[in-house]
Amino acid sequence: MSDEVKFLTHEVGSLAKPSWLVKTSAGKPLEESDIEHARQWGEKLDVEGHEALIELLQQDERDADEIARWSSRYCVRLQESAGVDVLWDGEQQRSEMYAWAIAHSNGFEPRGTVRSFDNKYYSKSAATGPVSLREPYHDDEFSFLKSVAQHELKIPITGAYTLAVWSYDEHHLPKEGRLGGGLSRKDEIDARRELTLDIARNIIRPNLESLIGLGATWIQIDEPGASTEEDELDIFVESFNVSVEGLDCFFSTHLCFSDYDLFFPAIEGMSGCRQYCVGFANYDTRELGTGGAERPGYEVISKWRDLPYDPILGLGVLDIHTDFVEPPELVRDRILYAAEVFGDPARIHVCPDCGLRTRSWDVAYEKLRNMVEGTRLAEESLNRAHAGATG
Amino acid sequence: MQATRDLDRGRTTQEAVDQQVDRDLAELVDVQQQAGLDLLADGMLRWQDVFRPLVEASEGLETGALTRFLDTNTFYRAPSATTAEPRLREPLGERHVAPLPGPRLVTLPSPYALAHGTGLPAKAMAEGVLKPQLEAFDAELVVLEEPFLARDEKADLSAFEEALQKLAGGPKLALWLTFGNAQRLLEQGLADLPVHAIGIDFYATRATDVPPGFDKMLLAGILDARSSVLEEPREIAAFVERLRGRGVDEIALVPNGDLQYVSEQVAREKLVRLGKARTATVEAAA
Repeated sequence: MSDEVKFLTHEVGSLAKPSWLVKTSAGKPLEESDIEHARQWGEKLDVEGHEALIELLQQDERDADEIARWSSRYCVRLQESAGVDVLWDGEQQRSEMYAWAIAHSNGFEPRGTVRSFDNKYYSKSAATGPVSLREPYHDDEFSFLKSVAQHELKIPITGAYTLAVWSYDEHHLPKEGRLGGGLSRKDEIDARRELTLDIARNIIRPNLESLIGLGATWIQIDEPGASTEEDELDIFVESFNVSVEGLDCFFSTHLCFSDYDLFFPAIEGMSGCRQYCVGFANYDTRELGTGGAERPGYEVISKWRDLPYDPILGLGVLDIHTDFVEPPELVRDRILYAAEVFGDPARIHVCPDCGLRTRSWDVAYEKLRNMVEGTRLAEESLNRAHAGATG
Repeated sequence: MQATRDLDRGRTTQEAVDQQVDRDLAELVDVQQQAGLDLLADGMLRWQDVFRPLVEASEGLETGALTRFLDTNTFYRAPSATTAEPRLREPLGERHVAPLPGPRLVTLPSPYALAHGTGLPAKAMAEGVLKPQLEAFDAELVVLEEPFLARDEKADLSAFEEALQKLAGGPKLALWLTFGNAQRLLEQGLADLPVHAIGIDFYATRATDVPPGFDKMLLAGILDARSSVLEEPREIAAFVERLRGRGVDEIALVPNGDLQYVSEQVAREKLVRLGKARTATVEAAA
């Protein structure tokens, strides 16, 4: 058996939707530049049969679902071409990670759009009654992608706590009597627990069971909202456990843009999570180097190393909020720092901080290519050192 | 929202976005006037977050990492300092403080909030950044938004008072403690700070936490800006009576934080409820 170091690379979730998909979904006409985009990327990525898409795009009447499946093909090939080992389709067939789940569930009503940051917004709903799954909502895309992808698949699904904390709750919280501190923090936490666990049992778990039945082997439960409330981390942990307990699959979770210290010790009880995919590059410098001074964004990773159930860390090495394309050498140094801290390269995967949907395909592609190249550089460095030590 | 999203993706021009913002501002002012509000606000429609324009207009301040704003799903670029004495290069222009057709208020971060996480004292932000900005305003009231103080158990009110004193001599100041329980600060002498008005989140704070003899204007945060539930005007009116019963004479009805945490439609309905609550409060007092 070879003891050569090999890091697995994967994406995290979303990629930008191309203008030809966005306009088709909105029922708007396309311009020549939209079609040219599809043509150029089809050729660049060698997307099989992309000429058929070009013909479709030239028609006045276009089926949005069919165009979305084409976009899925493009995104799969984009990542495969960049060399990413495990991937998804950039969520091209979903409206958005929150809205898609809510739209396929019972017990929610839309309450408009609110800001996430800068000019980024999301649709927010309120839980207004008992929540349940209308229909498993990732089965079709998984079946489709199995037929398209050449690399391994990892299915992202928005987790119960994030769905709960990103929603208003008009069902469990009282409508009156809150003014004047009438609602204690304990009341609020109890209400959140009830909503979150209902979502875990009645929405997330049936989805997971259905995907596993279709052959899913790796499911990533996205929880970007996990640390929103410091005193509710036990609810996040409990909801993860309720979602996956007893199911046979490799389960991971994705955390981002948080004070990660908050997760400890709460996630010591989340032993069903075999991998944590976490964004760090956003907090790091762009200086080269493998010492703590150059890598402040990664200082916290030792806490994952010390978890009692030895999970893998999906190391976020790409800042997804900037067009700055991380040089391979910077990616390499971030990985080498993490490998040194962990002392076991097998517990490190390499990924972006988060989904790359806010970047253009050009930027996302270059970032992913450099991520893969930087990963190879890190492997070479470690294998060279290992050979030197044993030679 | 759509205009700025399109601008980010190169689908529209800055000029088109500006025209849309102007239309939105006119509509926002109309809603406030119809609700009978005494002071108008411009909604800070071009502000990415409560810090960014000031940070970008200052020497010695930079926008830092994307950071979660309290316990919300909204994020901001946390200010970071590159010098010990940041300085405002020039006051914000009409792009960030839009002209309004009547008496107005302007919202800025409090010196404590602006200094939060930078390692600098609030006094440095007050002297170098906020004071020159205040001097440029023609406003009835400047609201200093403060989301962090009520949550910081180690907060030093005396140092904060020193920072606020640096801002004296200009427009009337209101300190608005958003999204947090002000009980501890009220016990430590919050009511004695050198400001004209103090805003309290009454979804986190009890009426009985307001100390006897509170002699400032009380900005009573009675709209919950983090909930989609619409407030009942009669419940607000009854609550205001409880505040009056504690001897508070001057009460203004406000949200407990920025209304950007609910959608525009919900915010609009809440503002209507605010106007109705005011009417109900006046009738109850008559």
